[in-house]
Amino acid sequence: MLYPRIIPCLLVRNKGLVKTVKFKDGKYVGDPLNAVKIFNEKEVDELIVLDIDATVQNIEPDYKMIENLAAECRMPLCYGGGIKTAVQAQRIFNLGVEKIAISSAIIERPRLVSEIATRVGNQSVVAVLDVKKKMLGGYEIYTHNGMKKSRLNLLSFVLQLEKLGVGEIVINSIDNDGMMKGYDLNLIAKIKETVNVPMTVIGGAGTTDDIAEVISQHGIIGVGAGSLFVFKGKYKAVLISYPDEKEKEKIYCKE
Amino acid sequence: MISIIDYGLGNIKAFANIYKSLNVSYKIISDFHDLAGTDKIIIPGVGAFDHAMKSLNDSGMRDTLDKMVLDDHIPVIGICVGMQMLAKSSEEGVEKGLGWIDGVVKKFDRSKLRSKEPLPHMGWNNVLIDSDNRLLKDLHGNPRFYFLHSYYFECNNPQDVIAKAEYGEAFACVINSGNIYGIQCHPEKSHSNGIQILKNFGEL
Amino acid sequence: MTRNYQICTECIMDTSDPSITFDEKGVCHHCSDFNKYVKPNWHPDSNGRKELEKIVEKIKIDGRKRDFDCLLGMSGGMDSSYMLHMAVNEWGLKPLVFHVDAGWNSELAVKNIECMVEKLKVDLYTEVINWEEIKDFQLAFFKSGIRELDIPQDHAFIAMVDKFAEKYKIKYILNGGNFSTECVMPPREWLYYGTDIKFIKDIHGKFGTIPLKTYPFVSVLKHKLYLKYLKGIQNIKPLNYVPYIKKDVVRILADNYDWREYPQKHFESRFTKFFEGYWLPEKFGIDMRRIQLSSLILTGQISRNEALSIVEKPAYNPEKIAEEFEYIAKKLNISVDELRSYFNAPNKTFRDYKNSEWFFVLGARIMKAAGLERAVRR
Repeated sequence: MLYPRIIPCLLVRNKGLVKTVKFKDGKYVGDPLNAVKIFNEKEVDELIVLDIDATVQNIEPDYKMIENLAAECRMPLCYGGGIKTAVQAQRIFNLGVEKIAISSAIIERPRLVSEIATRVGNQSVVAVLDVKKKMLGGYEIYTHNGMKKSRLNLLSFVLQLEKLGVGEIVINSIDNDGMMKGYDLNLIAKIKETVNVPMTVIGGAGTTDDIAEVISQHGIIGVGAGSLFVFKGKYKAVLISYPDEKEKEKIYCKE
Repeated sequence: MISIIDYGLGNIKAFANIYKSLNVSYKIISDFHDLAGTDKIIIPGVGAFDHAMKSLNDSGMRDTLDKMVLDDHIPVIGICVGMQMLAKSSEEGVEKGLGWIDGVVKKFDRSKLRSKEPLPHMGWNNVLIDSDNRLLKDLHGNPRFYFLHSYYFECNNPQDVIAKAEYGEAFACVINSGNIYGIQCHPEKSHSNGIQILKNFGEL
Repeated sequence: MTRNYQICTECIMDTSDPSITFDEKGVCHHCSDFNKYVKPNWHPDSNGRKELEKIVEKIKIDGRKRDFDCLLGMSGGMDSSYMLHMAVNEWGLKPLVFHVDAGWNSELAVKNIECMVEKLKVDLYTEVINWEEIKDFQLAFFKSGIRELDIPQDHAFIAMVDKFAEKYKIKYILNGGNFSTECVMPPREWLYYGTDIKFIKDIHGKFGTIPLKTYPFVSVLKHKLYLKYLKGIQNIKPLNYVPYIKKDVVRILADNYDWREYPQKHFESRFTKFFEGYWLPEKFGIDMRRIQLSSLILTGQISRNEALSIVEKPAYNPEKIAEEFEYIAKKLNISVDELRSYFNAPNKTFRDYKNSEWFFVLGARIMKAAGLERAVRR
């Protein structure tokens, strides 16, 4: 039986892990390398690591850090942040990363998806879309840490990505980011009914019940979480966690 | 000495890191001259069949590998697309496969997949072991592995299939014919059970 | 002049402690100090229980109007975990569980903390030390050639707990230190005082490369005197008032919380595991298991023969050490060769750097004479 994927999502800023709320106020979480090592020891399904400064500061990805993180992962690793060219993507794959995630670069130039896919295969190219609700309904895609509007139609764009052969689409809800009050189920349903591309959703998980809710509605899907797996309790104490086998069974089986 | 074939595709580093942590000696080979002293071969692979076959054929290592595997019977394992390359051909492309194991590669039949089962087959899935093959010993729990593919290997000899997985229908997950092994999932990315399979291969 | 090798006939401390002395029966001063100074003042019995009840009452009264009444430092190790178990289940306290993350947590530590906090339904607060700063600080210690590589971690733990208690006016800090497994203390020749600010700042000044802007410092005066006597912050070691037998404790924790044991004390930190398991024994000939096992011998929890057979084997796993070495180098952002060069460099001591040893020795004598400190440390 194919299982849904439960995926910790880590944000890197200035070489350290941070956790944001609605894409703002990064609370310091600690050293990325040790966090990744712990997640590996917990045998997580997959891991997403996003450098949230690279694009905004227009700098190269931190290849040394990526190589160090990849060496600790005995599960698929998806890296995103600052990737603009197929050459950069190839270099990152050679460091031991399975998937590369791109956001602003494919919004500027969607053909980048097929350029990279031709080199390494479609399955390794992941489009990350940071979305926020529009005042009068619908969703806006943003880049640069939620600062720049793309003015694209979300559903048309995901269809375009599907045609270009994107391997996976990650939908990141800015509104629900760090709020720990549940996923934007409406947003997820909208994308799911538009495209038939593997999908992962991030933004809003507060408990494993939130994850279970998404899985019970959509079955085979990737469910990503940041705050849920790095914070504990009402003081948001930094503590890395991940559901063990028993807890996973409960999540999968929730009706 | 385990030789990990670097022909431009696959997560070479992942295999290298695992064998390093197991204290098993290995080499990353991109030139056929360096294949001397090899007693086991790993052919990783991701991506499209034709691209993989062309890359392997252009690498200059094809002839030496054919000889080592078919004449010298050096144990070899193909991973993911590396397994599919063991076939004679694939529905995914037009290139000829290595033809080291009798079979062809087919695409998953969408009519057999439920609406909530998209392609590619991506994620963790159970593996049902059909034999007591040494490659698959000492796995724990209900073993799950990471898969990422849209095509599967159809063996002409059913006894070549030593483990199956299911996605819409059962398909060959691990195959073995003599010194030749193929594994459709990614042991290098499947935590402790994956490491165990790579360890077992190293000890064959 | 090198001494002839000698090992205590009661415990397993030996001449790897350069200041060890033996009596005519070959019994070392650690054993006699335990019998003279610790045992008579240690009451893990009904007397101890009565004394603890008085303290617990005070804690409860102080915290009756708050969500929590004490601060409990938690590493995920056996001592702090059992202390938390007792604090909630036996003593009826409302601890705020406090954890300092210095970047080296093992998965085991993190899981143990999670299990306990979850089951006991207590609140957790974590302080995460800025990794770039503590990394540079730790690297400075490696470069200095001295033994005490764990000071950056340990000092941060003490400082963070103190700072938090002071900031939130918490009067009672529960500390998992205990005689049962720690009555034999590391000799000063092994590990110098981590609260000697002059010393640690000299190391940073000579070998650090970035300023320590957020790294927490605390002076020994503040830690031992100001906070205790002027601010009224009490450091309680409740495990000294109750029976504390290691194998029973491990069983209770495993049965009640899915808690898992570490191969050795302090191994909840990956760094401490490397430091005590490999670096100290192999570079300096210091095996911390000697003091840990000697403590267990003195408190009747292990036989001398069992202890001897443990220290006969290396404290590190020879099959995994290359991988560990590489990880430590990677974490410190240096090459394996560079780390190896520090390993091979000449051994230095705190005396090679600026320090306030005279102050600490004087202070310890005064505190002991005034009956304020019970554990003996040479």
